[in-house]
Amino acid sequence: MKQLYYDIEKCLGCKSCEFACAVAHSKSQDLFGMIFEESLSLPRKKVLSSKGKNYPVSCRHCKEPKCVEACMAAALVYDSQNGMVLHDERRCVGCWNCVMVCPYGAIRPDLKTKIPIRCDRCKDKSEPACVKACPTGAIIWQEELILYTK
Amino acid sequence: MKQFVIIGNSAAGIAATEAIRQRDKTSKIIVISDEDYYAYCRCLISYYLAGELKEEMILYRSKDFYENNNIELYLNRRVLRVDAKKNHIVFEDKSKLGFDVLLVATGARPKFPEIKGIKKNGVFGFRTIKDAKQLSGLLPVTKTACVLGGGLVGLKVADALRKRNTEVKVIVKSKQILSQMLDIEAAHLLQERLESNGIDVILGQDVTEIIGNGDIKAVKLDSGKIFGCSMVVVAKGVSPNIEIIKEAGLKFNEGILCDNFMQTTVPSIYAAGDVCESFDITLGKTTVNAIWPIAVEQGRIAGLNMAGDKLEYVGSVGMNSIEFFGLPAISLGVYKVKEEERKAFEELVYLDRKAKVYKKLVLKDDILLGAVLVGDIKNSGLYLRIIKERIKVSDFKHKLLRENFGYLDIMHHLKEKENLYIHRSKAYV
Ligand SMILES: Cc1cc2nc3c(=O)[nH]c(=O)nc-3n(C[C@H](O)[C@H](O)[C@H](O)COP(=O)(O)OP(=O)(O)OC[C@H]3O[C@@H](n4cnc5c(N)ncnc54)[C@H](O)[C@@H]3O)c2cc1C
Ligand code: SF4
Repeated sequence: MKQLYYDIEKCLGCKSCEFACAVAHSKSQDLFGMIFEESLSLPRKKVLSSKGKNYPVSCRHCKEPKCVEACMAAALVYDSQNGMVLHDERRCVGCWNCVMVCPYGAIRPDLKTKIPIRCDRCKDKSEPACVKACPTGAIIWQEELILYTK
Repeated sequence: MKQFVIIGNSAAGIAATEAIRQRDKTSKIIVISDEDYYAYCRCLISYYLAGELKEEMILYRSKDFYENNNIELYLNRRVLRVDAKKNHIVFEDKSKLGFDVLLVATGARPKFPEIKGIKKNGVFGFRTIKDAKQLSGLLPVTKTACVLGGGLVGLKVADALRKRNTEVKVIVKSKQILSQMLDIEAAHLLQERLESNGIDVILGQDVTEIIGNGDIKAVKLDSGKIFGCSMVVVAKGVSPNIEIIKEAGLKFNEGILCDNFMQTTVPSIYAAGDVCESFDITLGKTTVNAIWPIAVEQGRIAGLNMAGDKLEYVGSVGMNSIEFFGLPAISLGVYKVKEEERKAFEELVYLDRKAKVYKKLVLKDDILLGAVLVGDIKNSGLYLRIIKERIKVSDFKHKLLRENFGYLDIMHHLKEKENLYIHRSKAYV
């Protein structure tokens, strides 16, 4: 299963990924169209900085997702085939239980649309928009790494 | 092959069946419910009542869930008691069912105060889809309602009734709404929002009598005041459904006592959800934390352990998330400090009344114990993690309430070391 990895030495903190993410999740799929849309498209990713280094933060698609456990509407479900947490907007009531429990703070509550905003890995596209947009190749989209720990 | 019996077809029961099936594809699983309904999202019955969700949208699992997972479902069957010595349960019709491992996930039911008129027609609890349907059925002829209790369920039902054009009064015994999850400041903000949307809130008064012959006419308060209404919804908390185990020899207080493996004091019997009492991290003792996410969490752990795992539960943290008319609020752990204990605690507070943003963190010796968040809830999951992992916040305490506080501020303090951030210069996998 593919995962997103980040090469911290390469990330400039330019936020191209945030931008591309917002565009990819807008209705018009284009920057100029997007700014005129009724509800502003929000990025699913945030580049945060600590000690001079930049770290893009977004949903981990946890294997034991706390948000799915907490979802009292069964709108969030874990799709084990694709290793992804999916969200069904039609079922969502905007109770924010998912925001309450996500251990990465990776869900942004969109109070206007009452929909939790989180990374969907651009599931309908061949690869996530952030990967394509990163000018330095700091975002890596590849098969899951197996960490060898001693 | 074992026979797993699960009493309860809701949050905890379903999580347990899924966990058992994850480990054990062949053993027999029997799920029992005294309701006549497939597992549904209990917390959504108010949305159903409000007319915001259709019935099929509140089913928790698809209709073929039971068949696909090879689960036998007994609906509309009430269990009378558990016999722990003979390893069987007894149904209302006196028939018996044996088990190798049993899960008691019977949840809770509304408490009805002992006041005059409480048994009258037109007085409802609000716990089941059946309750919601009965209430809904009366709405065409009912234009005024009184809700007794200003907790989460009471306010949700009031919200729903309001949305169905009913005049609603919420009568609250305490000096504030949501006294089980918010402090007074936060409660004020929410009450304002409810009132500006047409829900009347009466604080500090209790109902002493429900008046009417046949149909309900009014409620009488302890102040002597009388409010006319033709429907009463009682939402004054819930009590765990423990009657079926009272003679079985399991230990119980308010709820069934469980250890960190969700096992009761009888090894072949587990419990999870609203019916059980388990360790609470911020209180440091066992308690009932009757909320959906915890019922699922506990059900999953119980299920895995019933199927042979040895997974330990770190314990729960009392919490809740609500939103009324666009104003969200979340409460985690210790949300209020008693006046006499003030000295031992530290409170960090951010308040912007105009913007309706209020954030309060409760600490003791630089350990975060709780939070109340209104209007701006985005970092709630991070606070919860800090609370659960009991991280000392001394290094970043000043950042906790800042607008840009985020995952990076706590990353290096966490138990888990993630592998998605690669420092090429150091390690290459
Ligand atoms: C209106 C409403 C709104 C809520 N909103 C929220 C919310 O916003 N957030 C939140 O976290 N929680 C909320 N809750 C609480 C949440 O619904 C419960 O915490 C959760 O349902 C607990 O799940 P459970 O599996 O422990 O028990 P329950 O959901 O109570 O299920 C108990 C099961 O046991 C069965 N049963 C009980 N006794 C017997 C018996 N003797 N024989 C056979 N079967 C039996 C019942 O049929 C049922 O299937 C709300 C509850 C209500 C009523
Ligand atoms: S939203 Fe949070 S809890 Fe849910 S899968 Fe993503 S990172 Fe995990």
